[in-house]
Amino acid sequence: MSQKEVDPITLQVIGGALHTIAKEMGHVLYRMSYSSIIRESEDLGAGLFDADFNTLCESDSTPMHIGSIPAYLRGIDETLHDPWQPGDVVIHNHPYYGASHSPDIAAVAPVYYEGELVGFSANTAHHVDIGAATPGLIIDVPDVFAEGMLFKGVKLYEGGVRNRALWHFMGTNTRVPDQVLGDIEAQVASVELGVKRFVELLDSYGKETVFAATQQLMDYSESMLRKRIAEIPDGEYRAEGFLDDDGRNRGKPLPVKVCVRIDGDSAEVDLTGSSPQVPTAFNVPFEGSTKVACYFAFRAMLLDTATISEHVPQNEGSFRPIKVIAPKGSIFNPIYPAAAEARFNQIQRVVDCIIKALAPAIPDKVTAGCSADVSAIAYSGVRPEGNYWIFIEVNEGSYGGRPKSDGPDGIEELMRNTRNNPIEDLGMHLPLICDRYELRDDVMPGAGEYRGGIGMVKVQRYLTDGYLTHESDRHDDAPWGFLGGSDGSGARVQKFNIATPDKIEELPAKVHGLRNLKGDCIGVLNACGGGYGDPLARSPEQVREDVLDDFCTVEHAREAYGVILNAELEIDASATEARRGEMRG
Amino acid sequence: MANIGVDVGGTFTDLILESESIGGNSAGVIVHKVPSTPEDQSIAVIRGITEICEMAGVALGDIKKVVHGTTIATNAVIEYDGAEVGMLTTRGFRDILLLARGKRPHNFSMQFDVPWQSKPLVKRRNRIVISERILPPDGRIEVALDEDEVRAAAELLKKRGVDAVIICFIYSFLNNTHEQRAKEIVQEILPDTYVSCSSEVADVIREYERFSTAAMNAFIGPRTSFYLRNLQSALRSEGVKAEIRLMQSNGGVTTIEGGSERPVTILMSGPAGGVIGGKWAGDLSGVENLITVDIGGTSADISVVPGGEVRIMNPRDTNVGGYPILVPMIDLTTIGAGGGSIAYVDEGGAFRVGPRSAGADPGPACYGKGGTEATVTDAQVVLGRLDAEQFLGGGVAIDPALSAKAIESNLCGKLDMSIEEAALGIIRVINSNMALEIRANSVAKGIDPREYSLVAFGGAGPLHGVALAKTVAAREVLVPPAPGINAATGLLATDMQYEFTRSVLITITEADAGELEALNKQLDELVALAADALAADGVTERERQFTRIAECRYQGQGFELRAEFPVGVIDGDNKQVLIDNFHESHRRDYGHAFEDQNVEIITLRVIALAAMAKLTWPKLAAGTGENPKDAVMYVRPTTFDGGETLETPRYDRAKLAAGQSVSGPAIVIQHDSTTLIPPGHTAEISEFGNLHVREKA
Repeated sequence: MSQKEVDPITLQVIGGALHTIAKEMGHVLYRMSYSSIIRESEDLGAGLFDADFNTLCESDSTPMHIGSIPAYLRGIDETLHDPWQPGDVVIHNHPYYGASHSPDIAAVAPVYYEGELVGFSANTAHHVDIGAATPGLIIDVPDVFAEGMLFKGVKLYEGGVRNRALWHFMGTNTRVPDQVLGDIEAQVASVELGVKRFVELLDSYGKETVFAATQQLMDYSESMLRKRIAEIPDGEYRAEGFLDDDGRNRGKPLPVKVCVRIDGDSAEVDLTGSSPQVPTAFNVPFEGSTKVACYFAFRAMLLDTATISEHVPQNEGSFRPIKVIAPKGSIFNPIYPAAAEARFNQIQRVVDCIIKALAPAIPDKVTAGCSADVSAIAYSGVRPEGNYWIFIEVNEGSYGGRPKSDGPDGIEELMRNTRNNPIEDLGMHLPLICDRYELRDDVMPGAGEYRGGIGMVKVQRYLTDGYLTHESDRHDDAPWGFLGGSDGSGARVQKFNIATPDKIEELPAKVHGLRNLKGDCIGVLNACGGGYGDPLARSPEQVREDVLDDFCTVEHAREAYGVILNAELEIDASATEARRGEMRG
Repeated sequence: MANIGVDVGGTFTDLILESESIGGNSAGVIVHKVPSTPEDQSIAVIRGITEICEMAGVALGDIKKVVHGTTIATNAVIEYDGAEVGMLTTRGFRDILLLARGKRPHNFSMQFDVPWQSKPLVKRRNRIVISERILPPDGRIEVALDEDEVRAAAELLKKRGVDAVIICFIYSFLNNTHEQRAKEIVQEILPDTYVSCSSEVADVIREYERFSTAAMNAFIGPRTSFYLRNLQSALRSEGVKAEIRLMQSNGGVTTIEGGSERPVTILMSGPAGGVIGGKWAGDLSGVENLITVDIGGTSADISVVPGGEVRIMNPRDTNVGGYPILVPMIDLTTIGAGGGSIAYVDEGGAFRVGPRSAGADPGPACYGKGGTEATVTDAQVVLGRLDAEQFLGGGVAIDPALSAKAIESNLCGKLDMSIEEAALGIIRVINSNMALEIRANSVAKGIDPREYSLVAFGGAGPLHGVALAKTVAAREVLVPPAPGINAATGLLATDMQYEFTRSVLITITEADAGELEALNKQLDELVALAADALAADGVTERERQFTRIAECRYQGQGFELRAEFPVGVIDGDNKQVLIDNFHESHRRDYGHAFEDQNVEIITLRVIALAAMAKLTWPKLAAGTGENPKDAVMYVRPTTFDGGETLETPRYDRAKLAAGQSVSGPAIVIQHDSTTLIPPGHTAEISEFGNLHVREKA
């Protein structure tokens, strides 16, 4: 755009200003919104983009959204029905035109400066219900039209005038109109703020300087990532795993195959060999989700914000060194009109397999296998007054053990990082009550010098009849151990009625539109991470601490760690030495 | 009789003393600084009090009041050095403190730390589950409290020798009988241990935040109360008979007993003193709209005070060290920007200033204590804005050559800039970082800085004030009379303040007579509790003031904002005043309100206030004229932000009189602070000695 080099000081000043704008846009969106998935979970993204759809800045909210918006902008560009004009706000969610998945609706406003279209202010947010086949979430549906309302470059505001008919239409085609329309209002307020701030920035520093600076900031992010990629020896790195099933054809696992090719300071992620696309909604939109997952993996490992103190701006630059290949017709690049709403477990496993592939080359930058899944669960029902209630809960996963520390327990991992909902707040407003929320005690995490994280268990009880759709995975393929660490434990889902708590039914990971009765309880027990390093390298004192805290049982201490504790839970040193000697062989 | 404010900082302990007679003469105020003693803060506190009394010729026994700003509670959190705490909690919910809100602190990281897991306030082994169940929405009991389990848990914790026990049951904000009964039982078994219930420490909805607040209170409790009681007795044995008060995070003061029982209320004691000090300085000049900027060695605290009202942070944002703390705190933001912030070029070629800091040791390169990296202070020295022989009144020796060397060797080559250009760059970046934070706290929240005065204080504040005001378009800069010890000043300028809360979920828009009656009853009870607290501190009925607040949201939203109740009984008519107040809050913070939506009250809050006598600052002698010659110390070249180097007179602040003015380029020097007045600006000296720096018309 401009050849003028911006000095490093002005560059830093403009970089800081962009970062602040994105933060402010995200803040307005989640504080003003109605649905718990946006306001509590912060399942959203917001930022500014140039006229070529490059990210200039993006809010640090949820990794899945970060980096997904440019694909929306390209999709809008292809499908917009009338040319842009000042005062427009477009909504868009079509999974075959760049959307991450259909519930993540984008709101986009053009930014004009001195009469010229110079960029976009945009955000995405996950909506509770867009009128799909079942309330909140879907799994077993025939095609993309069962996902609900689809918007392809539709003007909600045209030249500043709200399209009232469209507004009315949206309210009619969702089960929870107050939440969805309230959240769209918040999105519009956020993009309008972004437009205002963008123009102020251009006024302050001049158009030429701002866009020259943004180019340099992208180059900076790109060079930071390239330096790290260059440190990895050239070559092909492979890993694989499998998903439980597609939600319809039970017992038919779906392979995930990843080949990472490092060539100098560039990387290629090739998903060839992974499962063909499936007949349910368990497919992944390529542009808005598959690619974003691959970008995430490299950034999280190589520009780790916990070990690198400098803020590397979130922009297009960090995507440039990475190329993504997924054959058309595969689960990671489905062909229209396949449904592709339930995509999160698959992309988590892509990230997991990239980590696994590169782990031998960069063991100090990885973790052992994380739960690498999502348990997204839509509880719903119809209130006595006749209106729907829907609550989408996202249950935490766990991390694998790490080079210098245990895997965190019960926490949002990899591509997701949403907040949970206060159980007391939910109980005051929904016919649903949480009966249990703590760490699992039915299995142990992967053993290692650094253990895997422990998954959580959450039990929700229906106080009236209702429905359930659960999008999850990882029951069958447990998270992997690394460098001598043992594998973690798979997830499970249980159902029972409060009146007969011993009559437990084990459910598959994916459940679609299950009818529940008053008193039915759903227990989600999430996967535990794999161990990192030789368990015998963990000190007996640390193992004893784990036992005292019930992170480890006395039996597991003996079997996995060779640590023998007596009835007072003191270490039996000689027995431990003998047992460890025996285990070392 | 004298009053003393004593504020403990990382490097210095600042003191201020006001007395009706100084050195046998007329009434006045003096200030003092002694080095802090991090191993035991009370050593410097007592030394400082003894010294300042000597300086003032005041006998220790004649001190009437000591107000203390302390970092003792905060340090316990930062150093993770607290009590062994036991916890009784509802069966099925052992790990609420471990799971927290499920969100990790970093989006793009594999090796991140999770403080609440790696440094738990209560170890998992000491979190013991108890059978009991209270159900929403009305607080009915589904499972009765198993008292035998409570006894067994208490015995176990007794055997383990825990220092404190907390009782945290789910939905206790609806019905606290189980928590209270369990507390009785635990106290029978552990009569000398500090036992508290979550509903006592923070009686509000949201389990994790409530439990965490109770856990933090217990974790820092023993160390804090030991320090406070020890300080009190040490002062007593020195002959100090004064009442001792503590600055709380909300800007009000409490007693030693109050601070010992609820140490979570004094976690932000120091920064709160700064904001109150800034407001006090505004009051001296009759200025109500203020942005306070306190710049020290490692960090800057920023707060916005609209219309003379100190704002309280949204309870969703109040946390310390990553742990949420549900107590009222002044709405302020801290960023890593100060005199010690280090400037460097990272491996990608980006120019950075902070948040890494050289701190007090080794400190900036010019201190000659081994620091070789270039800091903001070094940049100021190179630009001729800090004169070597005037640094801390000449108390600290600095070497400008070391500053130049640090900038040259670390920055000039990589940036292809001269020393002066690099130094100007450091100042520009650090000012930009601070200005962005000021904007995030003002413009982003509906505040127009053009109507605000920027109060610049802390050792480094007055050097940056004008540049910041210019960037954010504030109307002027206000430099208080003693900017280097402004937080201590704030300690003598505040009121006694207590807050009590209760969760009630009422849709106020639709509330019927019965609900309003219950609401009024709750408000009356909270006012009675607050009145008791003030009475216990000897505050008479006449002196008590109460503010009644509802924390509200639109039904379905997740975040509350504060709205004030009208005076008197709330009925079907005047409840609309509250609702309108809420719409107004929402409009101010988010830019618009949803007036057709139902408004829901989540929490009631009563603030009890007893006004205390405020610090009386002596008026300056009156004078006239511009650029008074007798106040000029000397003239030296100084480089300003535009890059121009000008012969710049130094004025001795002690010699400036009210009504005079100083026009830029100029520097005003006092013991612990330097005010920079760039060309094109004029500083006017107010009646009480505030400097008002404005752009020349």
